[in-house]
Amino acid sequence: MDIDRVSPEFDAVIGDREPSLDTIAHGLTFGEGPVWDRRENRFLWTEIIGDAIWEYRPGVGSRKLMDPSGHANGMTFDLEGRLLVAGWSSRSVWRMEHDGTTTVLASRYDGKPLSGPNDIVVRSDGSIYWTDPPGALAIPGMEGHDQQRYLDIQGVYCLTPAGEVHLAIADCTYPNGLAFSTDEKLLYVNDTQLGLIRAFDVNPDGSLGPGRVFHKLTGAEEGVADGMKVDVQDNVYCTGPGGIHVMNASGDLIGRLMIPGHCTNIAWGGEDWTSFFITTFHTVVRTRLGIPGVAVW
Amino acid sequence: MSDTVKFECVAGPFDGPANGVAWDGEGLLFALMEAQRLMRLDPATGDVSEVRKYTSRTNGIALGMNGELYGGQEASRRLIEFLPDGSSHAIDALLDGKHHNHPCDLSVDSSGAIWFADSFSPVLAVGPQFFPPLDHASVLRVAKDHRRAWVMRRMTYDTKAPRAVLVSADEKTLYVAEGEPRHGHVRELRAYPIGADGELGNYTVLHTFGADGRGPQRGIAGMCLDAEGNIVACGGWSRNGPGALVYVFSPNGAVLESWPLPADMPNRCAFGGADLDTLYVTTAAGELLAGRTPRRGFVRTAKGA
Repeated sequence: MDIDRVSPEFDAVIGDREPSLDTIAHGLTFGEGPVWDRRENRFLWTEIIGDAIWEYRPGVGSRKLMDPSGHANGMTFDLEGRLLVAGWSSRSVWRMEHDGTTTVLASRYDGKPLSGPNDIVVRSDGSIYWTDPPGALAIPGMEGHDQQRYLDIQGVYCLTPAGEVHLAIADCTYPNGLAFSTDEKLLYVNDTQLGLIRAFDVNPDGSLGPGRVFHKLTGAEEGVADGMKVDVQDNVYCTGPGGIHVMNASGDLIGRLMIPGHCTNIAWGGEDWTSFFITTFHTVVRTRLGIPGVAVW
Repeated sequence: MSDTVKFECVAGPFDGPANGVAWDGEGLLFALMEAQRLMRLDPATGDVSEVRKYTSRTNGIALGMNGELYGGQEASRRLIEFLPDGSSHAIDALLDGKHHNHPCDLSVDSSGAIWFADSFSPVLAVGPQFFPPLDHASVLRVAKDHRRAWVMRRMTYDTKAPRAVLVSADEKTLYVAEGEPRHGHVRELRAYPIGADGELGNYTVLHTFGADGRGPQRGIAGMCLDAEGNIVACGGWSRNGPGALVYVFSPNGAVLESWPLPADMPNRCAFGGADLDTLYVTTAAGELLAGRTPRRGFVRTAKGA
């Protein structure tokens, strides 16, 4: 894997090994939604247009876990270890129960159908946050039951533990990846069309303060702001031109992981959370990094 | 020849071009492709309302036999049905397993089949480009099979850039406006016989548009039928040729009438009004023009009705 080292801080990210890329899957049509399942010691991802959720078990291999999936996109786990899914074309946030059945958790805001949950994250109080851009309604190959957009905003929403859907951020252009800082005092949200990451102060009740620009992505290579995660030292990792851009907690670019193909999302996994999975349009690849990622519930 | 028809702007100009147009029995629906809006003019009051937004660059629109409203969503490379409850359902069909191009104009026959011009667009579809364009730009037809599933077929094998399609009144002919105003294209009004097996035969050319030192003429952009089965077509521009016109072609291509338009680059046309004698024309400047004509629009009825 090629490295674009911008700052010496990036050396800790890379670690003391020569970073290599293993291919976990290839031939996908829009890989996304990577998440490590620590309870089952397995890695899951989605194939959006391929309309499936996949599972990879180290030493065993891959299989489809769900097909069709309603063009599932981002995934994470809730505090009880149940898979949470941003249902891009099903226009819902849904949960896979331990017995494999599914439960829709949210599908409307203000009485109107969501446009299409894209990515998802869970706060330690159990609140679920997701981005809701309108892309799924228009992208060829993403057709669901109803292609009509009803909401006039491209928002970020929060499902509270009490089961209420709140609008957390209203002024996005195309919200996509989102991640909390390690202390959960900040929520980072990127915007694909604007090519930037904003940081929002998180109030104790889970509501958000006004956003400020944390980082503006640069680069002429293929790639956009899409998936985004945070490591235990509060570096922010975001897909962008050329691969994965890594910013320190001040928002300064410290380096890039140069990845072949168009990166869509990222996730840490493995027992020590240093395995680093990257989904692209057509593949899933894995490397190992020097700093663990924030563990998923 | 009648006195020329006087057109006036009855709505707009809106942001971006005005495109597909259809009479719903009481009002005139028209699409604003770039603005991603579907509008409706109430001729009784002159009021214009927004019927739908976020239309994914819907260009051509057409009504089905039971009032179904279809559109060609260029940004999504699909046909869509706009339902009265406000929802939008994609016509779920691929062409031999492949995504077609950018549907720009459509015509629904009495069986409910949708014929559409599947052109290439310089504006890419939304999102990642997973599906390459077809290696042809053809007229396609989509119809429901015995299981009520949409099935798509390729109908023309000799088009480069079909821009407008129109099923004749007797449904024995498909009229196609072929060709963009650019090098290497012919701009023709073609008549394809529709065989008993549903396939198209060899076309005849009803009208050809030329080129001169000012470049190629624009040709036909939109078409509809009058009650006598004549082809009422709008096209042309101020750059060359006779300018922006409405032509009335007989089914064998004779030019029966032509009506100059007071605006450049007309896009589509449809008859409407209480007596179906008003021709509505959309323009690239986002206008909706209307003119009372000595002709009446054709009303297609469902097969067996």
